[in-house]
Amino acid sequence: MRKPGLLLALLAVSSVLSSCGSTQPDYFSPSQSSVVARKMQARVYFSVEESDVMSAAAALLQDMGYSIDEVEARLGVISASKRANATNRLQAFGTLTLDSMKCALTFLMACSGNYYGEIDDVQDIRLTLVSMPNDSGDVAVRITIQRTIYDKRGRVSEQSTITDADVYESMFAKLSKAVFLEEQGI
Amino acid sequence: MKHYLLISVPMLALSACASQNSAITASDSQVHVRQMQTRVYDSLDKRDTLRSVLATLQDLGFVIDTADYEMATITATRLQEYQLRVTVTVRDRNSNQLAVRANARVDDQTIDDPRTYQDFFTVLDKAIFLTRHNVD
Repeated sequence: MRKPGLLLALLAVSSVLSSCGSTQPDYFSPSQSSVVARKMQARVYFSVEESDVMSAAAALLQDMGYSIDEVEARLGVISASKRANATNRLQAFGTLTLDSMKCALTFLMACSGNYYGEIDDVQDIRLTLVSMPNDSGDVAVRITIQRTIYDKRGRVSEQSTITDADVYESMFAKLSKAVFLEEQGI
Repeated sequence: MKHYLLISVPMLALSACASQNSAITASDSQVHVRQMQTRVYDSLDKRDTLRSVLATLQDLGFVIDTADYEMATITATRLQEYQLRVTVTVRDRNSNQLAVRANARVDDQTIDDPRTYQDFFTVLDKAIFLTRHNVD
Protein backbone atom coordinates (compact mmCIF):
# COMPACT_ATOMS: atom_id res chain seq x y z
CA MET A 1 0.00 0.00 0.00
CA ARG A 2 2.90 2.30 0.58
CA LYS A 3 4.31 2.01 -2.91
CA PRO A 4 1.86 4.32 -4.72
CA GLY A 5 2.49 6.99 -2.11
CA LEU A 6 6.24 6.65 -2.48
CA LEU A 7 5.91 6.80 -6.25
CA LEU A 8 3.82 9.95 -6.03
CA ALA A 9 6.35 11.56 -3.68
CA LEU A 10 9.20 10.70 -6.06
CA LEU A 11 7.26 12.11 -8.99
CA ALA A 12 6.54 15.32 -7.10
CA VAL A 13 10.21 15.77 -6.13
CA SER A 14 11.46 15.04 -9.64
CA SER A 15 8.97 17.47 -11.19
CA VAL A 16 10.08 20.21 -8.77
CA LEU A 17 13.73 19.51 -9.57
CA SER A 18 13.12 19.49 -13.30
CA SER A 19 11.28 22.83 -13.11
CA CYS A 20 14.27 24.29 -11.24
CA GLY A 21 16.59 23.23 -14.02
CA SER A 22 14.48 24.60 -16.85
CA THR A 23 15.79 27.60 -18.77
CA GLN A 24 13.78 30.74 -19.42
CA PRO A 25 12.45 31.56 -22.90
CA ASP A 26 14.28 33.93 -25.25
CA TYR A 27 12.64 37.11 -24.00
CA PHE A 28 15.16 39.47 -25.61
CA SER A 29 16.00 37.68 -28.82
CA PRO A 30 14.69 39.71 -31.74
CA SER A 31 12.37 37.65 -33.89
CA GLN A 32 13.04 37.12 -37.59
CA SER A 33 10.15 39.44 -38.31
CA SER A 34 11.71 42.36 -36.39
CA VAL A 35 13.06 43.92 -39.61
CA VAL A 36 9.60 43.68 -41.18
CA ALA A 37 8.09 45.13 -37.99
CA ARG A 38 10.54 48.04 -38.03
CA LYS A 39 9.62 48.84 -41.64
CA MET A 40 5.94 48.74 -40.79
CA GLN A 41 6.29 50.79 -37.60
CA ALA A 42 8.67 53.53 -38.80
CA ARG A 43 8.62 56.49 -41.21
CA VAL A 44 11.13 59.22 -41.96
CA TYR A 45 10.01 62.85 -42.18
CA PHE A 46 12.45 64.85 -44.25
CA SER A 47 13.71 68.32 -43.40
CA VAL A 48 11.59 68.87 -40.31
CA GLU A 49 12.31 69.96 -36.76
CA GLU A 50 12.01 67.20 -34.18
CA SER A 51 9.97 69.53 -31.95
CA ASP A 52 7.45 70.04 -34.78
CA VAL A 53 7.07 66.27 -35.20
CA MET A 54 6.59 65.83 -31.44
CA SER A 55 3.97 68.59 -31.26
CA ALA A 56 2.19 67.21 -34.31
CA ALA A 57 2.20 63.73 -32.77
CA ALA A 58 0.77 64.98 -29.47
CA ALA A 59 -1.99 66.86 -31.31
CA LEU A 60 -2.75 63.79 -33.43
CA LEU A 61 -2.99 61.56 -30.35
CA GLN A 62 -5.47 64.03 -28.88
CA ASP A 63 -7.39 64.00 -32.19
CA MET A 64 -7.66 60.22 -31.87
CA GLY A 65 -8.88 60.42 -28.28
CA TYR A 66 -5.73 59.27 -26.50
CA SER A 67 -4.54 60.51 -23.11
CA ILE A 68 -0.85 61.31 -22.97
CA ASP A 69 0.74 59.22 -20.21
CA GLU A 70 4.42 60.08 -20.67
CA VAL A 71 6.42 62.70 -22.53
CA GLU A 72 10.19 63.09 -22.55
CA ALA A 73 10.97 65.68 -25.21
CA ARG A 74 14.75 65.32 -24.86
CA LEU A 75 14.48 61.66 -25.87
CA GLY A 76 11.64 62.14 -28.34
CA VAL A 77 9.26 59.88 -26.40
CA ILE A 78 5.47 60.14 -26.17
CA SER A 79 3.39 57.33 -24.66
CA ALA A 80 -0.38 57.44 -24.69
CA SER A 81 -3.36 55.23 -23.99
CA LYS A 82 -7.12 54.98 -24.31
CA ARG A 83 -9.90 52.58 -23.43
CA ALA A 84 -12.20 51.69 -26.29
CA ASN A 85 -15.04 49.36 -27.15
CA ALA A 86 -13.88 45.90 -28.23
CA THR A 87 -17.19 44.26 -28.99
CA ASN A 88 -17.08 42.22 -32.16
CA ARG A 89 -20.63 41.84 -33.47
CA LEU A 90 -19.87 38.51 -35.14
CA GLN A 91 -18.39 37.12 -31.93
CA ALA A 92 -21.33 38.47 -29.91
CA PHE A 93 -23.83 36.92 -32.32
CA GLY A 94 -21.99 33.58 -32.21
CA THR A 95 -21.81 33.39 -28.44
CA LEU A 96 -25.44 34.46 -27.96
CA THR A 97 -26.49 31.76 -30.43
CA LEU A 98 -24.45 29.18 -28.50
CA ASP A 99 -26.05 30.33 -25.25
CA SER A 100 -29.53 30.07 -26.77
CA MET A 101 -28.80 26.59 -28.14
CA LYS A 102 -27.47 25.45 -24.77
CA CYS A 103 -30.58 26.83 -23.07
CA ALA A 104 -32.81 25.08 -25.60
CA LEU A 105 -30.98 21.77 -25.07
CA THR A 106 -31.24 22.02 -21.29
CA PHE A 107 -34.83 23.19 -21.59
CA LEU A 108 -36.49 23.76 -18.21
CA MET A 109 -33.68 21.94 -16.39
CA ALA A 110 -31.12 24.65 -15.92
CA CYS A 111 -30.38 27.36 -18.40
CA SER A 112 -26.65 27.56 -17.80
CA GLY A 113 -25.50 29.23 -21.01
CA ASN A 114 -22.48 31.32 -20.05
CA TYR A 115 -20.77 32.05 -23.35
CA TYR A 116 -22.04 35.63 -23.19
CA GLY A 117 -19.49 36.40 -20.47
CA GLU A 118 -16.68 35.50 -22.88
CA ILE A 119 -17.62 38.19 -25.40
CA ASP A 120 -14.90 40.83 -25.80
CA ASP A 121 -16.07 43.99 -24.08
CA VAL A 122 -13.43 46.72 -23.82
CA GLN A 123 -9.81 47.16 -24.82
CA ASP A 124 -6.98 49.22 -23.35
CA ILE A 125 -4.76 50.50 -26.16
CA ARG A 126 -1.25 51.76 -25.33
CA LEU A 127 1.21 53.17 -27.77
CA THR A 128 4.65 54.71 -27.82
CA LEU A 129 5.94 57.13 -30.41
CA VAL A 130 9.67 57.75 -30.51
CA SER A 131 11.27 60.35 -32.76
CA MET A 132 14.90 60.06 -33.75
CA PRO A 133 16.59 62.96 -35.58
CA ASN A 134 19.67 62.45 -37.74
CA ASP A 135 22.45 64.79 -38.85
CA SER A 136 20.77 65.45 -42.22
CA GLY A 137 17.84 67.26 -40.59
CA ASP A 138 15.42 64.35 -41.04
CA VAL A 139 13.41 62.76 -38.26
CA ALA A 140 12.60 59.05 -38.08
CA VAL A 141 9.45 58.20 -36.14
CA ARG A 142 8.64 54.76 -34.82
CA ILE A 143 5.36 53.71 -33.26
CA THR A 144 4.64 50.54 -31.27
CA ILE A 145 1.09 49.70 -30.23
CA GLN A 146 -0.22 47.11 -27.78
CA ARG A 147 -3.64 46.27 -26.49
CA THR A 148 -5.31 44.30 -23.74
CA ILE A 149 -8.84 43.07 -24.40
CA TYR A 150 -11.22 42.31 -21.53
CA ASP A 151 -14.34 40.17 -21.78
CA LYS A 152 -17.74 40.94 -20.24
CA ARG A 153 -16.62 39.33 -16.98
CA GLY A 154 -13.62 41.64 -16.80
CA ARG A 155 -11.09 38.90 -17.53
CA VAL A 156 -8.19 39.46 -19.92
CA SER A 157 -9.08 37.65 -23.13
CA GLU A 158 -6.08 38.83 -25.15
CA GLN A 159 -2.95 40.93 -24.73
CA SER A 160 -0.76 41.51 -27.73
CA THR A 161 1.28 43.85 -29.90
CA ILE A 162 -0.59 45.20 -32.92
CA THR A 163 0.94 43.71 -36.06
CA ASP A 164 -1.68 44.86 -38.57
CA ALA A 165 0.21 46.97 -41.14
CA ASP A 166 -2.98 48.89 -42.05
CA VAL A 167 -3.18 50.33 -38.52
CA TYR A 168 0.34 51.76 -38.74
CA GLU A 169 -0.24 52.91 -42.34
CA SER A 170 -3.35 54.80 -41.26
CA MET A 171 -1.60 56.33 -38.27
CA PHE A 172 1.38 57.55 -40.30
CA ALA A 173 -0.94 59.00 -42.96
CA LYS A 174 -2.60 61.03 -40.21
CA LEU A 175 0.77 61.97 -38.71
CA SER A 176 2.00 63.23 -42.09
CA LYS A 177 -1.05 65.48 -42.27
CA ALA A 178 -0.50 66.61 -38.66
CA VAL A 179 3.18 67.44 -39.35
CA PHE A 180 2.09 69.49 -42.38
CA LEU A 181 -0.50 71.32 -40.27
CA GLU A 182 2.12 71.93 -37.57
CA GLU A 183 4.55 73.41 -40.08
CA GLN A 184 1.81 75.63 -41.46
CA GLY A 185 0.93 76.73 -37.94
CA ILE A 186 -2.63 75.36 -38.24
CA MET B 1 -5.39 15.59 16.48
CA LYS B 2 -6.62 18.91 17.85
CA HIS B 3 -3.10 19.76 18.98
CA TYR B 4 -1.73 19.24 15.50
CA LEU B 5 -4.38 21.54 14.09
CA LEU B 6 -3.75 24.15 16.74
CA ILE B 7 -0.04 24.18 15.93
CA SER B 8 -0.23 23.84 12.15
CA VAL B 9 -2.66 26.71 11.52
CA PRO B 10 -0.47 29.47 13.06
CA MET B 11 2.62 27.84 11.50
CA LEU B 12 1.02 28.06 8.06
CA ALA B 13 0.00 31.65 8.67
CA LEU B 14 3.52 32.57 9.80
CA SER B 15 5.19 30.85 6.88
CA ALA B 16 2.87 32.67 4.46
CA CYS B 17 3.85 36.00 6.04
CA ALA B 18 7.53 35.16 5.80
CA SER B 19 7.33 34.22 2.11
CA GLN B 20 5.26 37.30 1.22
CA ASN B 21 7.68 39.64 2.98
CA SER B 22 10.77 37.98 1.57
CA ALA B 23 9.58 39.02 -1.90
CA ILE B 24 9.88 42.71 -0.90
CA THR B 25 13.66 42.44 -0.61
CA ALA B 26 15.34 39.89 -2.82
CA SER B 27 17.81 37.44 -1.38
CA ASP B 28 20.22 37.23 -4.31
CA SER B 29 23.74 38.61 -4.09
CA GLN B 30 23.66 42.30 -5.04
CA VAL B 31 27.07 42.12 -6.69
CA HIS B 32 26.12 39.09 -8.78
CA VAL B 33 22.83 40.68 -9.86
CA ARG B 34 24.55 43.94 -10.84
CA GLN B 35 27.23 42.15 -12.83
CA MET B 36 24.64 40.14 -14.71
CA GLN B 37 22.46 43.16 -15.50
CA THR B 38 25.15 45.72 -16.38
CA ARG B 39 27.32 46.40 -19.41
CA VAL B 40 29.82 49.21 -19.87
CA TYR B 41 30.01 51.23 -23.10
CA ASP B 42 32.72 53.60 -24.31
CA SER B 43 32.51 56.93 -26.07
CA LEU B 44 28.80 57.49 -26.55
CA ASP B 45 27.00 60.24 -24.67
CA LYS B 46 24.08 59.70 -22.34
CA ARG B 47 21.48 61.03 -24.78
CA ASP B 48 22.60 58.80 -27.66
CA THR B 49 22.83 55.80 -25.33
CA LEU B 50 19.27 56.40 -24.09
CA ARG B 51 18.06 56.78 -27.66
CA SER B 52 19.78 53.49 -28.52
CA VAL B 53 18.00 51.87 -25.56
CA LEU B 54 14.67 53.19 -26.90
CA ALA B 55 15.44 51.78 -30.36
CA THR B 56 16.36 48.44 -28.79
CA LEU B 57 13.15 48.29 -26.77
CA GLN B 58 11.02 49.15 -29.80
CA ASP B 59 12.88 46.53 -31.84
CA LEU B 60 11.94 44.02 -29.18
CA GLY B 61 8.28 45.08 -29.31
CA PHE B 62 8.04 47.12 -26.10
CA VAL B 63 5.85 50.11 -25.37
CA ILE B 64 7.57 52.77 -23.23
CA ASP B 65 5.92 53.34 -19.85
CA THR B 66 8.25 56.05 -18.55
CA ALA B 67 11.35 57.79 -19.87
CA ASP B 68 13.34 60.33 -17.91
CA TYR B 69 16.40 62.01 -19.35
CA GLU B 70 17.65 63.53 -16.09
CA MET B 71 17.51 60.22 -14.23
CA ALA B 72 18.48 58.38 -17.42
CA THR B 73 15.82 55.78 -16.73
CA ILE B 74 13.44 54.05 -19.14
CA THR B 75 10.76 51.52 -18.19
CA ALA B 76 8.89 49.55 -20.84
CA THR B 77 6.35 46.74 -21.12
CA ARG B 78 5.70 44.06 -23.71
CA LEU B 79 2.40 42.23 -23.70
CA GLN B 80 2.28 38.68 -25.00
CA GLU B 81 0.92 35.56 -23.33
CA TYR B 82 2.92 37.05 -20.47
CA GLN B 83 3.72 40.60 -19.35
CA LEU B 84 7.41 41.43 -19.67
CA ARG B 85 8.55 44.62 -17.93
CA VAL B 86 12.06 46.01 -18.12
CA THR B 87 13.77 49.03 -16.58
CA VAL B 88 16.99 50.35 -18.12
CA THR B 89 19.22 52.90 -16.42
CA VAL B 90 22.29 54.68 -17.76
CA ARG B 91 24.94 55.98 -15.36
CA ASP B 92 28.28 57.70 -15.76
CA ARG B 93 30.93 55.19 -14.82
CA ASN B 94 33.82 57.54 -15.40
CA SER B 95 34.55 60.41 -17.79
CA ASN B 96 34.71 58.08 -20.81
CA GLN B 97 32.37 55.27 -19.96
CA LEU B 98 28.69 54.73 -19.31
CA ALA B 99 27.17 51.79 -17.47
CA VAL B 100 23.86 50.51 -18.84
CA ARG B 101 21.84 48.34 -16.50
CA ALA B 102 18.67 46.42 -17.32
CA ASN B 103 16.46 44.51 -14.93
CA ALA B 104 13.44 42.57 -16.10
CA ARG B 105 10.41 40.82 -14.70
CA VAL B 106 7.99 38.50 -16.39
CA ASP B 107 4.60 38.49 -14.69
CA ASP B 108 5.45 38.00 -11.00
CA GLN B 109 8.92 36.54 -11.56
CA THR B 110 12.30 38.29 -11.66
CA ILE B 111 14.40 37.22 -14.62
CA ASP B 112 17.61 35.89 -13.14
CA ASP B 113 18.98 34.04 -16.15
CA PRO B 114 22.27 35.70 -17.28
CA ARG B 115 21.68 34.53 -20.86
CA THR B 116 18.49 36.60 -21.07
CA TYR B 117 20.43 39.76 -20.18
CA GLN B 118 23.19 38.83 -22.63
CA ASP B 119 20.51 38.65 -25.33
CA PHE B 120 19.29 42.13 -24.39
CA PHE B 121 22.79 43.61 -24.54
CA THR B 122 23.47 41.89 -27.87
CA VAL B 123 20.52 43.80 -29.37
CA LEU B 124 21.62 47.00 -27.59
CA ASP B 125 25.18 46.58 -28.96
CA LYS B 126 23.74 46.65 -32.49
CA ALA B 127 21.56 49.69 -31.76
CA ILE B 128 24.54 51.55 -30.29
CA PHE B 129 26.63 50.65 -33.34
CA LEU B 130 23.88 52.03 -35.62
CA THR B 131 23.55 55.20 -33.51
CA ARG B 132 27.32 55.72 -33.64
CA HIS B 133 27.22 55.42 -37.42
CA ASN B 134 24.05 57.50 -37.66
CA VAL B 135 21.95 54.84 -39.36
CA ASP B 136 18.16 55.07 -38.97
